Amino acid sequence: MPQLNPEFFVSQLFWLAIFFTFLFIFLWRISLPRISTVLENRQNKINKNLSSAKELQEKALEIEKKINLQIFKAKEEADILIKETINSLQDEVASQLSELDQDLEKKISNSEKEILKSRDNQMKNIDYEIANLTKLTVSKITNLDLTNSDIDKAIKSSKESLN
Amino acid sequence: MAAKDSPLKQFEIDTISEIEISGYNLSFTNSSFAMFITVLVITLFLTLSVNTKSIIPSRWQLISELMYNFIAQLLSDTVGENGKKYFPFVFSLFMFVLVGNMIGMIPYQFTFTSHIIVTFALAAVVFIGVTILGFFNHGLKFFSFFVIPGVPFYMHPLLIPIEVISYLSRPISLSVRLFANMLAGHTLLKVFAGFVVTMPFFTGAFPLAFIVALTGLEVLIAFLQAYVFAILTCLYINDAYHLH
Repeated sequence: MPQLNPEFFVSQLFWLAIFFTFLFIFLWRISLPRISTVLENRQNKINKNLSSAKELQEKALEIEKKINLQIFKAKEEADILIKETINSLQDEVASQLSELDQDLEKKISNSEKEILKSRDNQMKNIDYEIANLTKLTVSKITNLDLTNSDIDKAIKSSKESLN
Repeated sequence: MAAKDSPLKQFEIDTISEIEISGYNLSFTNSSFAMFITVLVITLFLTLSVNTKSIIPSRWQLISELMYNFIAQLLSDTVGENGKKYFPFVFSLFMFVLVGNMIGMIPYQFTFTSHIIVTFALAAVVFIGVTILGFFNHGLKFFSFFVIPGVPFYMHPLLIPIEVISYLSRPISLSVRLFANMLAGHTLLKVFAGFVVTMPFFTGAFPLAFIVALTGLEVLIAFLQAYVFAILTCLYINDAYHLH
Protein backbone atom coordinates (compact mmCIF):
# COMPACT_ATOMS: atom_id res chain seq x y z
CA MET A 1 0.00 0.00 0.00
CA PRO A 2 1.64 3.27 -1.05
CA GLN A 3 0.19 5.07 1.97
CA LEU A 4 2.44 3.11 4.32
CA ASN A 5 5.60 3.80 2.38
CA PRO A 6 7.56 6.26 4.51
CA GLU A 7 9.65 7.43 1.58
CA PHE A 8 7.42 10.45 0.88
CA PHE A 9 6.16 11.15 4.43
CA VAL A 10 8.45 14.07 5.00
CA SER A 11 7.74 15.53 1.57
CA GLN A 12 3.99 15.28 2.09
CA LEU A 13 4.16 16.82 5.55
CA PHE A 14 6.41 19.60 4.26
CA TRP A 15 4.15 20.56 1.38
CA LEU A 16 1.01 20.11 3.47
CA ALA A 17 2.42 22.52 6.05
CA ILE A 18 3.30 25.07 3.38
CA PHE A 19 0.02 24.90 1.47
CA PHE A 20 -2.27 24.64 4.47
CA THR A 21 -0.52 27.48 6.27
CA PHE A 22 -0.77 29.61 3.15
CA LEU A 23 -4.46 28.71 2.76
CA PHE A 24 -5.18 29.44 6.43
CA ILE A 25 -3.45 32.83 6.39
CA PHE A 26 -4.97 33.79 3.05
CA LEU A 27 -8.51 32.91 4.14
CA TRP A 28 -8.04 34.42 7.60
CA ARG A 29 -6.57 37.69 6.37
CA ILE A 30 -8.17 38.22 2.94
CA SER A 31 -11.10 36.03 1.93
CA LEU A 32 -13.12 35.70 5.12
CA PRO A 33 -13.03 39.42 6.06
CA ARG A 34 -14.28 40.23 2.56
CA ILE A 35 -17.20 37.81 2.83
CA SER A 36 -18.02 38.98 6.34
CA THR A 37 -18.03 42.64 5.19
CA VAL A 38 -20.45 41.73 2.42
CA LEU A 39 -22.71 39.95 4.90
CA GLU A 40 -22.45 42.78 7.42
CA ASN A 41 -23.21 45.40 4.78
CA ARG A 42 -26.29 43.47 3.74
CA GLN A 43 -27.42 43.07 7.35
CA ASN A 44 -26.82 46.77 7.98
CA LYS A 45 -28.81 47.73 4.93
CA ILE A 46 -31.67 45.44 5.96
CA ASN A 47 -31.60 46.85 9.50
CA LYS A 48 -31.49 50.42 8.19
CA ASN A 49 -34.45 49.81 5.91
CA LEU A 50 -36.36 48.15 8.72
CA SER A 51 -35.67 50.97 11.16
CA SER A 52 -36.58 53.66 8.61
CA ALA A 53 -39.78 51.74 7.84
CA LYS A 54 -40.54 51.69 11.56
CA GLU A 55 -39.87 55.41 11.86
CA LEU A 56 -42.14 56.16 8.95
CA GLN A 57 -44.82 53.97 10.47
CA GLU A 58 -44.56 55.83 13.77
CA LYS A 59 -44.75 59.15 11.94
CA ALA A 60 -47.81 57.96 10.06
CA LEU A 61 -49.42 56.93 13.34
CA GLU A 62 -48.69 60.35 14.86
CA ILE A 63 -50.17 62.09 11.85
CA GLU A 64 -53.22 59.86 12.08
CA LYS A 65 -53.58 60.76 15.75
CA LYS A 66 -53.33 64.47 14.93
CA ILE A 67 -55.91 64.13 12.20
CA ASN A 68 -58.25 62.27 14.53
CA LEU A 69 -57.77 64.94 17.18
CA GLN A 70 -58.50 67.70 14.69
CA ILE A 71 -61.58 65.88 13.44
CA PHE A 72 -62.75 65.48 17.03
CA LYS A 73 -62.18 69.19 17.76
CA ALA A 74 -63.95 70.21 14.57
CA LYS A 75 -66.89 68.02 15.48
CA GLU A 76 -67.10 69.56 18.93
CA GLU A 77 -66.97 73.09 17.47
CA ALA A 78 -69.61 72.18 14.94
CA ASP A 79 -71.80 70.74 17.73
CA ILE A 80 -71.44 73.95 19.75
CA LEU A 81 -72.25 76.10 16.71
CA ILE A 82 -75.29 73.99 15.88
CA LYS A 83 -76.55 74.23 19.47
CA GLU A 84 -75.99 77.97 19.56
CA THR A 85 -77.76 78.45 16.27
CA ILE A 86 -80.68 76.31 17.38
CA ASN A 87 -80.94 78.24 20.66
CA SER A 88 -80.79 81.67 19.00
CA LEU A 89 -83.33 80.60 16.38
CA GLN A 90 -85.62 79.27 19.08
CA ASP A 91 -85.35 82.56 20.96
CA GLU A 92 -86.08 84.54 17.83
CA VAL A 93 -89.03 82.35 16.95
CA ALA A 94 -90.39 82.65 20.47
CA SER A 95 -90.09 86.44 20.50
CA GLN A 96 -91.64 86.72 17.05
CA LEU A 97 -94.44 84.39 18.14
CA SER A 98 -95.10 86.48 21.24
CA GLU A 99 -95.07 89.67 19.15
CA LEU A 100 -97.48 88.05 16.74
CA ASP A 101 -99.67 86.98 19.66
CA GLN A 102 -99.71 90.48 21.04
CA ASP A 103 -100.54 91.94 17.61
CA LEU A 104 -103.28 89.45 17.11
CA GLU A 105 -104.68 90.09 20.56
CA LYS A 106 -104.66 93.79 19.91
CA LYS A 107 -106.35 93.30 16.57
CA ILE A 108 -108.89 90.92 18.11
CA SER A 109 -109.72 93.31 20.93
CA ASN A 110 -109.96 96.21 18.48
CA SER A 111 -112.26 94.28 16.19
CA GLU A 112 -114.32 93.16 19.17
CA LYS A 113 -114.74 96.79 20.21
CA GLU A 114 -115.64 97.80 16.67
CA ILE A 115 -118.09 94.94 16.42
CA LEU A 116 -119.69 95.95 19.70
CA LYS A 117 -119.84 99.59 18.58
CA SER A 118 -121.43 98.73 15.26
CA ARG A 119 -123.86 96.40 16.98
CA ASP A 120 -124.89 99.16 19.37
CA ASN A 121 -125.33 101.52 16.45
CA GLN A 122 -127.31 98.93 14.59
CA MET A 123 -129.46 98.30 17.64
CA LYS A 124 -130.22 102.09 17.94
CA ASN A 125 -130.99 102.29 14.24
CA ILE A 126 -133.19 99.19 14.48
CA ASP A 127 -135.44 100.88 17.02
CA TYR A 128 -135.70 103.96 14.81
CA GLU A 129 -136.31 101.90 11.64
CA ILE A 130 -138.88 99.79 13.42
CA ALA A 131 -140.70 102.95 14.55
CA ASN A 132 -140.61 104.41 11.05
CA LEU A 133 -141.74 101.16 9.48
CA THR A 134 -144.52 100.76 12.00
CA LYS A 135 -145.71 104.35 11.47
CA LEU A 136 -145.68 103.92 7.73
CA THR A 137 -147.38 100.52 7.83
CA VAL A 138 -150.03 101.65 10.24
CA SER A 139 -150.70 104.86 8.35
CA LYS A 140 -151.03 103.00 5.06
CA ILE A 141 -153.23 100.30 6.45
CA THR A 142 -155.41 102.28 8.81
CA ASN A 143 -154.90 105.88 7.75
CA LEU A 144 -154.27 106.74 11.36
CA ASP A 145 -151.66 109.27 12.19
CA LEU A 146 -149.79 107.83 15.14
CA THR A 147 -147.54 109.88 17.28
CA ASN A 148 -143.99 108.83 17.85
CA SER A 149 -144.60 108.30 21.55
CA ASP A 150 -147.41 105.83 20.86
CA ILE A 151 -145.29 103.84 18.58
CA ASP A 152 -142.43 103.81 21.05
CA LYS A 153 -144.83 102.50 23.71
CA ALA A 154 -146.10 99.77 21.49
CA ILE A 155 -142.57 98.70 20.51
CA LYS A 156 -141.50 98.64 24.13
CA SER A 157 -144.44 96.52 25.15
CA SER A 158 -143.92 94.09 22.27
CA LYS A 159 -140.21 93.90 23.08
CA GLU A 160 -141.07 93.11 26.68
CA SER A 161 -143.50 90.42 25.60
CA LEU A 162 -140.83 89.02 23.30
CA ASN A 163 -138.32 89.00 26.04
CA MET B 1 -2.33 -9.06 -10.08
CA ALA B 2 0.28 -7.09 -11.92
CA ALA B 3 1.42 -3.90 -10.19
CA LYS B 4 0.28 -1.61 -13.02
CA ASP B 5 -3.27 -2.95 -12.83
CA SER B 6 -3.53 -2.74 -9.04
CA PRO B 7 -6.47 -0.67 -7.72
CA LEU B 8 -3.98 0.83 -5.29
CA LYS B 9 -1.78 2.16 -8.05
CA GLN B 10 -3.75 5.41 -8.04
CA PHE B 11 -2.42 6.16 -4.58
CA GLU B 12 1.23 5.93 -5.60
CA ILE B 13 3.21 9.10 -5.29
CA ASP B 14 5.19 10.27 -8.30
CA THR B 15 7.93 12.81 -8.01
CA ILE B 16 7.45 15.83 -10.24
CA SER B 17 10.59 17.69 -9.28
CA GLU B 18 13.18 16.30 -6.92
CA ILE B 19 14.15 18.46 -3.96
CA GLU B 20 16.45 17.31 -1.19
CA ILE B 21 17.39 19.53 1.71
CA SER B 22 19.88 18.30 4.35
CA GLY B 23 19.12 14.68 3.62
CA TYR B 24 15.33 15.02 3.70
CA ASN B 25 13.34 14.22 0.60
CA LEU B 26 11.12 17.29 0.07
CA SER B 27 10.30 16.53 -3.55
CA PHE B 28 7.36 18.25 -5.19
CA THR B 29 5.08 15.30 -5.98
CA ASN B 30 1.65 14.71 -7.50
CA SER B 31 0.30 14.89 -3.92
CA SER B 32 1.88 18.32 -3.50
CA PHE B 33 0.48 19.31 -6.88
CA ALA B 34 -3.04 18.27 -5.81
CA MET B 35 -2.65 20.35 -2.64
CA PHE B 36 -1.46 23.26 -4.76
CA ILE B 37 -4.48 22.97 -7.08
CA THR B 38 -6.78 22.70 -4.05
CA VAL B 39 -5.38 25.85 -2.46
CA LEU B 40 -5.47 27.63 -5.81
CA VAL B 41 -9.13 26.70 -6.41
CA ILE B 42 -10.20 27.75 -2.90
CA THR B 43 -8.36 31.06 -2.88
CA LEU B 44 -9.36 32.01 -6.41
CA PHE B 45 -12.97 31.01 -5.88
CA LEU B 46 -13.39 32.79 -2.56
CA THR B 47 -11.64 35.88 -3.90
CA LEU B 48 -13.22 36.23 -7.31
CA SER B 49 -16.74 35.26 -6.30
CA VAL B 50 -17.02 38.12 -3.80
CA ASN B 51 -15.12 40.59 -5.96
CA THR B 52 -18.18 42.71 -6.70
CA LYS B 53 -19.23 42.74 -3.02
CA SER B 54 -22.80 43.25 -4.15
CA ILE B 55 -25.67 43.55 -1.72
CA ILE B 56 -27.68 41.19 -3.90
CA PRO B 57 -25.25 38.34 -4.49
CA SER B 58 -24.43 36.69 -7.79
CA ARG B 59 -24.63 32.90 -7.92
CA TRP B 60 -20.91 32.48 -7.27
CA GLN B 61 -20.98 34.95 -4.41
CA LEU B 62 -23.98 33.12 -3.00
CA ILE B 63 -22.01 29.85 -2.91
CA SER B 64 -19.19 31.54 -0.98
CA GLU B 65 -21.67 33.09 1.43
CA LEU B 66 -23.45 29.77 1.91
CA MET B 67 -20.17 28.04 2.78
CA TYR B 68 -19.25 30.88 5.14
CA ASN B 69 -22.63 30.73 6.86
CA PHE B 70 -22.56 26.92 6.93
CA ILE B 71 -19.35 26.78 8.96
CA ALA B 72 -20.24 29.86 11.01
CA GLN B 73 -23.55 28.20 11.95
CA LEU B 74 -21.77 24.93 12.72
CA LEU B 75 -19.35 26.69 15.07
CA SER B 76 -21.99 28.76 16.84
CA ASP B 77 -24.21 25.69 17.27
CA THR B 78 -21.49 23.52 18.79
CA VAL B 79 -19.15 25.95 20.55
CA GLY B 80 -21.21 29.10 20.88
CA GLU B 81 -19.82 32.60 21.25
CA ASN B 82 -16.29 31.35 22.04
CA GLY B 83 -16.10 29.62 18.68
CA LYS B 84 -15.78 32.77 16.57
CA LYS B 85 -12.03 32.92 17.17
CA TYR B 86 -11.52 29.53 15.54
CA PHE B 87 -13.72 30.22 12.53
CA PRO B 88 -10.84 30.89 10.07
CA PHE B 89 -9.12 27.66 11.11
CA VAL B 90 -12.21 25.46 10.95
CA PHE B 91 -13.24 27.06 7.67
CA SER B 92 -9.77 26.47 6.16
CA LEU B 93 -9.82 22.88 7.38
CA PHE B 94 -13.29 22.26 5.94
CA MET B 95 -12.50 23.86 2.59
CA PHE B 96 -9.12 22.11 2.32
CA VAL B 97 -10.57 18.66 2.97
CA LEU B 98 -13.72 19.32 0.89
CA VAL B 99 -11.97 20.63 -2.19
CA GLY B 100 -9.19 18.03 -1.81
CA ASN B 101 -11.82 15.28 -1.77
CA MET B 102 -13.70 16.80 -4.69
CA ILE B 103 -10.58 17.19 -6.83
CA GLY B 104 -9.87 13.55 -6.09
CA MET B 105 -13.21 12.71 -7.71
CA ILE B 106 -11.96 14.01 -11.07
CA PRO B 107 -10.58 11.03 -13.02
CA TYR B 108 -6.76 10.73 -13.09
CA GLN B 109 -6.45 13.26 -10.28
CA PHE B 110 -4.61 12.45 -7.10
CA THR B 111 -6.51 12.41 -3.78
CA PHE B 112 -4.16 13.67 -1.07
CA THR B 113 -6.77 13.00 1.65
CA SER B 114 -6.40 9.27 0.90
CA HIS B 115 -2.98 9.36 2.53
CA ILE B 116 -2.95 8.64 6.25
CA ILE B 117 0.07 10.84 6.83
CA VAL B 118 -1.80 13.89 5.50
CA THR B 119 -5.03 13.27 7.41
CA PHE B 120 -3.08 12.36 10.52
CA ALA B 121 -1.12 15.58 10.31
CA LEU B 122 -4.35 17.59 10.06
CA ALA B 123 -5.91 15.63 12.94
CA ALA B 124 -2.74 16.04 15.01
CA VAL B 125 -2.85 19.81 14.53
CA VAL B 126 -6.45 19.77 15.77
CA PHE B 127 -5.61 17.44 18.68
CA ILE B 128 -2.55 19.34 19.85
CA GLY B 129 -4.26 22.68 19.41
CA VAL B 130 -7.33 21.59 21.36
CA THR B 131 -5.22 20.11 24.15
CA ILE B 132 -3.20 23.31 24.47
CA LEU B 133 -6.46 25.26 24.44
CA GLY B 134 -7.83 23.04 27.22
CA PHE B 135 -4.80 23.61 29.43
CA PHE B 136 -4.83 27.31 28.60
CA ASN B 137 -8.48 27.67 29.63
CA HIS B 138 -8.55 25.39 32.65
CA GLY B 139 -4.95 24.84 33.75
CA LEU B 140 -4.51 21.60 35.62
CA LYS B 141 -8.26 21.37 36.05
CA PHE B 142 -8.22 20.13 32.48
CA PHE B 143 -7.41 16.66 33.86
CA SER B 144 -10.88 16.59 35.42
CA PHE B 145 -12.05 16.09 31.84
CA PHE B 146 -11.15 12.41 32.31
CA VAL B 147 -13.24 12.10 35.48
CA ILE B 148 -16.89 11.52 34.68
CA PRO B 149 -19.08 13.28 37.24
CA GLY B 150 -21.78 11.32 39.04
CA VAL B 151 -19.99 7.97 38.85
CA PRO B 152 -19.28 5.90 42.00
CA PHE B 153 -15.67 6.44 43.13
CA TYR B 154 -14.74 2.75 42.84
CA MET B 155 -15.49 2.92 39.10
CA HIS B 156 -12.90 5.63 38.52
CA PRO B 157 -9.85 3.29 38.26
CA LEU B 158 -11.66 1.63 35.37
CA LEU B 159 -13.19 4.68 33.73
CA ILE B 160 -10.31 7.16 33.87
CA PRO B 161 -7.98 5.01 31.73
CA ILE B 162 -10.82 4.46 29.28
CA GLU B 163 -11.41 8.21 29.07
CA VAL B 164 -7.70 8.87 28.59
CA ILE B 165 -7.46 6.27 25.86
CA SER B 166 -10.54 7.61 24.12
CA TYR B 167 -9.08 11.13 24.31
CA LEU B 168 -5.73 10.02 22.93
CA SER B 169 -7.36 8.04 20.14
CA ARG B 170 -9.17 11.12 18.87
CA PRO B 171 -6.53 12.09 16.29
CA ILE B 172 -6.33 8.48 15.15
CA SER B 173 -10.09 8.09 14.70
CA LEU B 174 -10.34 11.52 13.09
CA SER B 175 -7.58 10.82 10.57
CA VAL B 176 -8.36 7.16 9.90
CA ARG B 177 -12.05 7.97 9.26
CA LEU B 178 -11.21 10.35 6.44
CA PHE B 179 -8.32 8.31 5.07
CA ALA B 180 -10.24 5.02 5.09
CA ASN B 181 -13.30 6.53 3.45
CA MET B 182 -11.27 8.00 0.62
CA LEU B 183 -9.14 4.88 0.23
CA ALA B 184 -12.13 2.53 0.18
CA GLY B 185 -14.19 4.66 -2.19
CA HIS B 186 -11.47 5.13 -4.74
CA THR B 187 -10.34 1.52 -4.54
CA LEU B 188 -13.90 0.32 -5.07
CA LEU B 189 -14.29 2.57 -8.10
CA LYS B 190 -11.05 1.22 -9.56
CA VAL B 191 -12.06 -2.41 -8.91
CA PHE B 192 -15.35 -1.94 -10.73
CA ALA B 193 -13.61 -0.02 -13.49
CA GLY B 194 -11.45 -3.11 -13.93
CA PHE B 195 -14.61 -5.25 -14.29
CA VAL B 196 -15.89 -2.99 -17.07
CA VAL B 197 -12.82 -3.79 -19.12
CA THR B 198 -12.44 -7.48 -18.33
CA MET B 199 -16.09 -8.67 -18.51
CA PRO B 200 -17.13 -10.12 -21.87
CA PHE B 201 -19.37 -8.43 -24.43
CA PHE B 202 -21.87 -5.90 -23.20
CA THR B 203 -22.01 -7.24 -19.61
CA GLY B 204 -19.41 -4.60 -18.76
CA ALA B 205 -22.29 -2.12 -18.86
CA PHE B 206 -23.51 -3.35 -15.46
CA PRO B 207 -20.35 -2.46 -13.51
CA LEU B 208 -20.23 0.77 -15.54
CA ALA B 209 -23.73 1.67 -14.34
CA PHE B 210 -22.61 0.78 -10.84
CA ILE B 211 -19.62 3.08 -11.19
CA VAL B 212 -21.89 5.95 -12.19
CA ALA B 213 -24.06 5.40 -9.11
CA LEU B 214 -20.99 4.92 -6.93
CA THR B 215 -19.48 8.17 -8.19
CA GLY B 216 -22.57 9.99 -6.96
CA LEU B 217 -22.18 8.29 -3.59
CA GLU B 218 -18.49 9.17 -3.47
CA VAL B 219 -19.24 12.84 -4.10
CA LEU B 220 -21.65 12.69 -1.18
CA ILE B 221 -19.02 10.98 0.98
CA ALA B 222 -16.42 13.54 -0.08
CA PHE B 223 -18.67 16.30 1.26
CA LEU B 224 -19.76 14.29 4.29
CA GLN B 225 -16.22 13.52 5.41
CA ALA B 226 -15.22 17.16 5.15
CA TYR B 227 -18.29 18.04 7.20
CA VAL B 228 -17.52 15.33 9.78
CA PHE B 229 -13.93 16.54 10.05
CA ALA B 230 -15.13 20.09 10.63
CA ILE B 231 -17.89 19.22 13.11
CA LEU B 232 -15.62 16.95 15.16
CA THR B 233 -13.05 19.74 15.31
CA CYS B 234 -15.83 22.03 16.58
CA LEU B 235 -16.85 19.47 19.20
CA TYR B 236 -13.26 19.08 20.40
CA ILE B 237 -12.92 22.86 20.67
CA ASN B 238 -16.15 22.89 22.66
CA ASP B 239 -14.74 20.21 25.00
CA ALA B 240 -11.71 22.41 25.60
CA TYR B 241 -14.06 25.15 26.82
CA HIS B 242 -16.70 23.15 28.66
CA LEU B 243 -15.05 20.10 30.15
CA HIS B 244 -18.27 18.20 30.69
